[in-house]
Formats: sequence, structure tokens, C-alpha cells
Amino acid sequence: MTELGQNLIDALALGSLYALIAVGIALVYTVMGMMNFAHGEFITLSAYALYVLAGLPFAAAVALALLAGSAIALATERVAFRPVRNADISAQLVTSLAVATILQNVVVVAVDARAQSVQAPAAFSESTSIGGLAVPNLEFVTLGLTVTVLAALGWLLYRTRTGLAMRAAAENFEMARLLGVQADRVIAVAFAISGALAAAVAVLIVMQTGQVSPTMGLTPVLVGFVAVVIGGFGRMFGAVIGGLLLGALSSLLGAYLPDGLVPFRDAIVFTFPVLILIFRPRGLLGGATGEARV
Amino acid sequence: MSAARFRTRPSFVTSLLAPLALIAIAVLVGVNGTPSFQGTVTLALCNLIVVLGLQVFIGNSGVYSFGQLGFATIGAYVAALLTLPAAFVLLQTPGLPDFIAEAQLGPLSSTLIAAAISGLVAIVVGLPLMRTSTLAIPISTFAFLIVVYNVVANWDRVTGGSSGLVSIPTTTGVETAGLWAGAAVVLALAFKWSPSGYRLQATREDEVAARSIGIGVTKERLIAFGISGTLCGVGGALMAHQSGVLNPTTFYFGATVTTVTMLVVGGARGVLGAVVGALAISVVNELLRGLEDGADLFGAISIGEAPGLATIGLGLILLGTMVAMPNGLSGGREAGELPWVRRLGPMRPPPLPKSGDAASRAPSGRVREGGLDAAGISLAFSGLRVLEQVDLALGPGEALGLIGPNGAGKTTLVNILSGFQKPDSGAVRLDGVDVTGRSPSRLAHDGLGRTFQAALPFPDLTVLESVAVGAMGMGIGRRRAVRDAAAVLGRLGLLEQAELPAGTLPPGGQRLLGIARALAIGPRYLLLDEPAAGLNEGECEELVAILRKVLADFGCGILLIEHDMGTVMDLCPKIQVLDDGATLRIGTPEEIQADPAVVESYLGSSFLGVADA
Repeated sequence: MTELGQNLIDALALGSLYALIAVGIALVYTVMGMMNFAHGEFITLSAYALYVLAGLPFAAAVALALLAGSAIALATERVAFRPVRNADISAQLVTSLAVATILQNVVVVAVDARAQSVQAPAAFSESTSIGGLAVPNLEFVTLGLTVTVLAALGWLLYRTRTGLAMRAAAENFEMARLLGVQADRVIAVAFAISGALAAAVAVLIVMQTGQVSPTMGLTPVLVGFVAVVIGGFGRMFGAVIGGLLLGALSSLLGAYLPDGLVPFRDAIVFTFPVLILIFRPRGLLGGATGEARV
Repeated sequence: MSAARFRTRPSFVTSLLAPLALIAIAVLVGVNGTPSFQGTVTLALCNLIVVLGLQVFIGNSGVYSFGQLGFATIGAYVAALLTLPAAFVLLQTPGLPDFIAEAQLGPLSSTLIAAAISGLVAIVVGLPLMRTSTLAIPISTFAFLIVVYNVVANWDRVTGGSSGLVSIPTTTGVETAGLWAGAAVVLALAFKWSPSGYRLQATREDEVAARSIGIGVTKERLIAFGISGTLCGVGGALMAHQSGVLNPTTFYFGATVTTVTMLVVGGARGVLGAVVGALAISVVNELLRGLEDGADLFGAISIGEAPGLATIGLGLILLGTMVAMPNGLSGGREAGELPWVRRLGPMRPPPLPKSGDAASRAPSGRVREGGLDAAGISLAFSGLRVLEQVDLALGPGEALGLIGPNGAGKTTLVNILSGFQKPDSGAVRLDGVDVTGRSPSRLAHDGLGRTFQAALPFPDLTVLESVAVGAMGMGIGRRRAVRDAAAVLGRLGLLEQAELPAGTLPPGGQRLLGIARALAIGPRYLLLDEPAAGLNEGECEELVAILRKVLADFGCGILLIEHDMGTVMDLCPKIQVLDDGATLRIGTPEEIQADPAVVESYLGSSFLGVADA
């Protein structure tokens, strides 16, 4: 029973981490229609900001890492993504792949190809026991952060003028533009938030693993992509559901797979979306077919 | 009709020989180099084969796959395990079944088996993946790449795990790789110019229009995905036999970025682009790696060892291409299509269509029974009624006008008749057969053609190809499809423009092209959604004349949605008026004009005044 409870909390924590990644990707996708490969490198670079700023008080380092995430996202939007804003989705995807490749190797050149260790505050590695369960503090932080971020995002999207503009742009970009929504501003806001979300994810991952590496963004970005696909494109809520499902699946497989199969966990986790797509080609919250509308 | 030339394979010989010549040059340069330079050239040619594999799928479908290197991995491991001497096999992969461990095949047979297995896996993987959308395919294929990596890296007893395999016989030399690369070029071009290749390119240009002329998007993508997987498997197998070592990261994310960059920089839509891109990036890569190892630049500036620089360079090249030159160095064209090549001399004189060819494509005899019937069609979008109990009957060879104010549900009705939308209730019957809920491409095969309010051209295909691809969608061979398409274009007065890219036609021409494209599938019923929209008065009259000719020559029934009253009343002896999702009146043009309810709801009092005058 305790073991089950423990595993469920682990599943929820990993699921909410994945949901945070997915929401960051979905935000840019809904506003601009681009699946951003470089989101993984937003995570990587924010994590390296944390690594570089390790001497500062932890709170200050985290705040600066969040800023760094936003700044990098804004910079790439301005330099690389704005010129291809009106290109088709495939061209945008490949552009973001180029940006991801460049950023990843900038880290290799500037720091090193090997992983570097980062000291996490001791409080994160401790556990709090609740009703016989020893819950790692980091999982509390992850869950709390996810709930807070989702609530804040909901408030922004549904209670502010900027949010209204973003939702309008997501519905029909050209129409929103004609009605006076400033495209540049809406997209910039989306990228800034997306970058900050990536940085938040980076902090959680670094606290978990205690290290940073140039390729640390690869798995998260794929997880985020797949979560967005399962959830149904362009739906924030779908991305959250997709992230939770994928994280929970991964966590539970880690706990319950027979020993011989544990190394193949990733293969199983990433095959699972295919099973969903067989039955719902447009994702859980999407339509029933994969075909374009007339 | 002076110099109308017909080539669906634009200067075929040039397009085929140019990439082969580039490969031949690479081979000639390679064989005369040092052993290490030979290895570099061989590797470039192996990469070229993988890039051609990418081109077959990505270039023709316009959909990116980031998983094709997974097939290269499979090909490489299969080929390696089939050729490793038994003693090494036992050492590295004790879990391998005996018959594979003891097999010690030659380079050719192992490569062929590797290709077959990669292709087979591609088909199995593609079956579910190709059903998803243009944006889900890149992501789910990327997931496939990770799955392959994960399995290969952890299945120690069969694959040697993360340490990989060593002592693989190194049998791939420059000449071998060159021969395979040449074969891959021929295969990629043959596919591009095959009916299946054209059908896939049509889905790239406009998915909706492609479905309306009977093209099954999923099926065409799957065929290309399988061929692509096979070619990538060949590339992987040859590469394993070039380097002699193999590990799970050989064909992983880095190799994916490299090969995609090669394809995009060269120009994804063309086989020439794949060859140019692969060779050019291989050269650039070598130069950048030289820098990375700490070379002396111009003997003056000394650059220290800096891993990652080469990859940054690659990323910058990819980014620059996407921003400044999205069609790549070749512009996505084949050698024979390049403007400066075409200026060099006249093309082969075309076979001019014989008159009467189109009649042979027209439906045999005029079916006088049957018809296209809709009964009790209702549809609501989230509670909002769009159509309510609408009936419609279009007899064979008959012209029926469908009019009504904006939002009356005319286009929705056509979408239901042609399978693009499913009704909440009601049934559609085609010559007595219930076809409700059939897919658009199935209905096209059943004899239903349609056009759209927007012209939806295939911009990058020529006018002739745009029309011929419809007949190819019906399973007609390329040669005959081209002849029939030329005949249809002749009837519609578009023959002069046959060779122009469809995207360059003026709006009026694009509308006609849409009609020609629909006619080329030999429909028994043709649904025209506002063909006169945006045409001037002269063009309208021309359109009416052409539609008359269509009625007379092709013998298909026509349903004409139109706002321009003159056009409808000119052409249709019977008119159905739709208002607010229900049928208001069916009758002759005179009866419609005289009906007060129709006049009030739609024609307006001003029209009444004109009619009286």
C-alpha cells in the first residue's frame, strides 16, 4: 500500500514536470503554429545559467536563470523565427532544429561536451514523511510549481487583455491582426513565457540530477512534443493531459517493469503515443481523423 | 497551339545524367586519393544514399521525418551481424540465434537483406504513423528514432549494447558506394516520375485538392516511406561495411541533423538537390572538422581544438538556408528543369494529342438511369443548424443549378456529397448505391468530381502534370494519363499553358485548371463550387461556353453552385434554391424568377425590377 502510494506520487511528480515542458511548447505552437525544437535548448541554456551562477544565493540564481530562459527565447524569436513566421509548418520545424543544433553546440564550445555537476541545496534532497510515505521535497516543489504555473497561465490567458490577444491569435492569426492585435508583441510574450517555463523545468531537472550537459534538452523536448501530439495540437489543456499521462506512464513503468525490461522503458514510453495515434490520429482532444479540414 | 511542348519528365536525360555525373566525379576524385581520403569520399557517398532516402519521402510528400536514420541503424546492424565472422559474433553478441551467428554472407547479399528488412520495418512502422497529420509525423518518427536507439543500446546480447560492434568486414570501397549511390539516384527519380510519385507530390501541393481527385494521402505516403526506409537501410549497411565499427549513436540525432541539412541545403524537392546537398555539405564538413582539430588558418591564425564548432557551422548553414533560400541550392528542381539548362536548346518535340482522345476517357455510353441523389440531409455544427432535411437529385448528363444567399448551406451540401463532411442524418446515393460516409478519394473513384471555391492549384506541378495526376489517381498509366490530360486541356483551351507551373496561371486560368483536373478523373457527376467567382464578364461568358462543351463532350451531370445569376440561368434548365439550410424551391429559371418567396429571400427587389424592365 505504501509502495503504491509512493509510486503514485512519483508518477504525479514526473507527470507534472512533463506537463510543464509540454505547456511551454504548446504555448508557442498555439500562437505561432511552430513546434519549437529549440525548447530543449532553452532548458539546457537555463540550466547552464544555473551552473554558472552557482556562487550566488540559490533564490537569486533561480531568478536569473528564469530571466536567462526568457532572454534566450526572445533572442531566438527575433533572430531566427521571425523571418520564417509565414513559412509552412515543416520549414518552421526545420528552422527550430537548426537553432537547437547551434545552441547545443555553443554550450559544447563554451563549456565542455561532458556533463558538469551542480550542487543542489540540501533541502531538495531531503524527504518529508506524510502518513508513512517519504515524499522527496523536490516532488513537492515540482507539484506546487506546476499547479502555480498552470493557474498563473490560466489567469493570464483568460483574465488579461494580453491573454485575450493571445487566444485570438491562436484562433485566427490573420483575423486577429486585422482587428488590431499586435502580432510581434503577442508572439514575443508567448516566447518569453515559454522560455521562463523552460527555465523552471531546467531548475527542477538540475535539482533532481545534480548535473548539466549539452544534450540534456533532447529527451525533455521529445517528451514535450509527444505530449502535445497525444493531447491534440494547439490545446493547452491537451498538452497538460498528455504530459501527465506520459510522465505517469514512464514513472510507473520504472517501478513495475520486470528487471530485464527496465532498460527498454523509453522504447515502451515512446511507443505508447503511437498506440493512441492509431485510434485517434489527431490526439486525445483532437478530431477523429488525421485529415485536413476543407 | 504553336510550340506547346509536353514533357511530364522535363528533359529526362539531363535530369538523370546530371546527378549521376556528380557521383561519377566524386568517385573519380576519391579512388585516386590516399586511403583516408578514400574513406572520406566513401562515407560521403553512403550519406548521399541516406539523403536520397530522405528525399524520396520528405521531398515528394513535403512532410518531414526525423526517424529515417532509425532505418539506417537497422540496415547497418543487420548487415554487420550477417557478415561478422562467427568467432567475433560469439564474443560480442552471445544472444544471437545460431543461424545468424553462423551466417557469414558477402557484402552484396547482406546489403540486400538489410535493405529488405529496413523497408519492411518502415512499412510496419508507417502503417499507423502515416495516418496521422503533417505535423504529427515528424514528431512520431522522431519518437521512433529514440525507440530504435533505446533498443539497440540496451539489447546487449544481440547488438553489443552501447559499446557496439567491432571487426565488421570493411568491404565498402569508393566504387561500391558509387555504384549503389547511382542506383539510388535512378530509384529516387523513377519514383518521383512514377504515377505514385506524382500522386504524392500532389498531396504535398494541396492535400484537399489531391483527395478530391481520388488520391489516398495515407497510402501514397506509406509507399514512399517504405522506399525511403529501404534506401536508408542500404546507406546504413554500406556505412557499417565502410568503417568496420558500429554503435547506437552512429545514426542518431547528430546524423539526423547532418542528413536533413544536406537535403534542405541542396533542395529537398529534387533528386539533384539531394546529391548536391550531400556532396557540398560533406566537403564543408571536412573543412570545418579541420578547424575543429586545431588547424592553422592561412598559416597565420592558429585555432585551438574546439569540438562542436563544426556542428555550429552546420546549424548556421541550415538556418541560413531556411531563412534566405528555403528551396535550397537547386531550387528544388531537377537538372533538366533549371532555367539556364532550358535556355541551352529546344526540347524534344511533343506528341500532340489526337482529337477524340478525351471522348475515350468519357464514361462509356450515357447512363440514363441512376443519378446522384441526396435524401433528407441534415447537419448541425455545435447546435447551429446548417442543413435541414435537404433533398437533391442530379440526373446523368443533367445540369442543375444550386443557388441561395450566403450561409444557405450550398458549399456544406457539396462537401457532404463529395465526402468531405459527414451528415448527421440522411443518405447520399450514387447511381443507386448508398455512398454516405465514403471518403473523398473513394468517391472520386466512384465517379464524383468536384472543384472548390478557392482554386487550390498544385503550384509546383505544371498545368499538364496537375491534370494528368488525376488520371494517375485512377490507376491509369503515366503515358495514357498524360495523353488524356492533354486532350482535356485542349478542350478547355489551356493547352498553350501546359508546361507552366500551375501556380503561375492567372485566377481565371486556375479556375479552368480546377475544372480540367476534376474532368481528368472521368467523373460521371461534377460538382462546381462557384467557378465564376472573381471572373469578369467576358471570362464568365467564356466559362459558360466551356461548361456547355463539358456537358456535351464529357456527358457528366453537373451541379453548379453560382452567385452569378446569368451564368446559372444560361446553363441550367433546372435550379434548386437553398435558403437557411432548407430547399425553398426547385424549378426552371423562369419559375424561379417568378417565385415571390425566392425573389424576396435571395434575388432581391432590384432583380425583380430588372426582370420586369
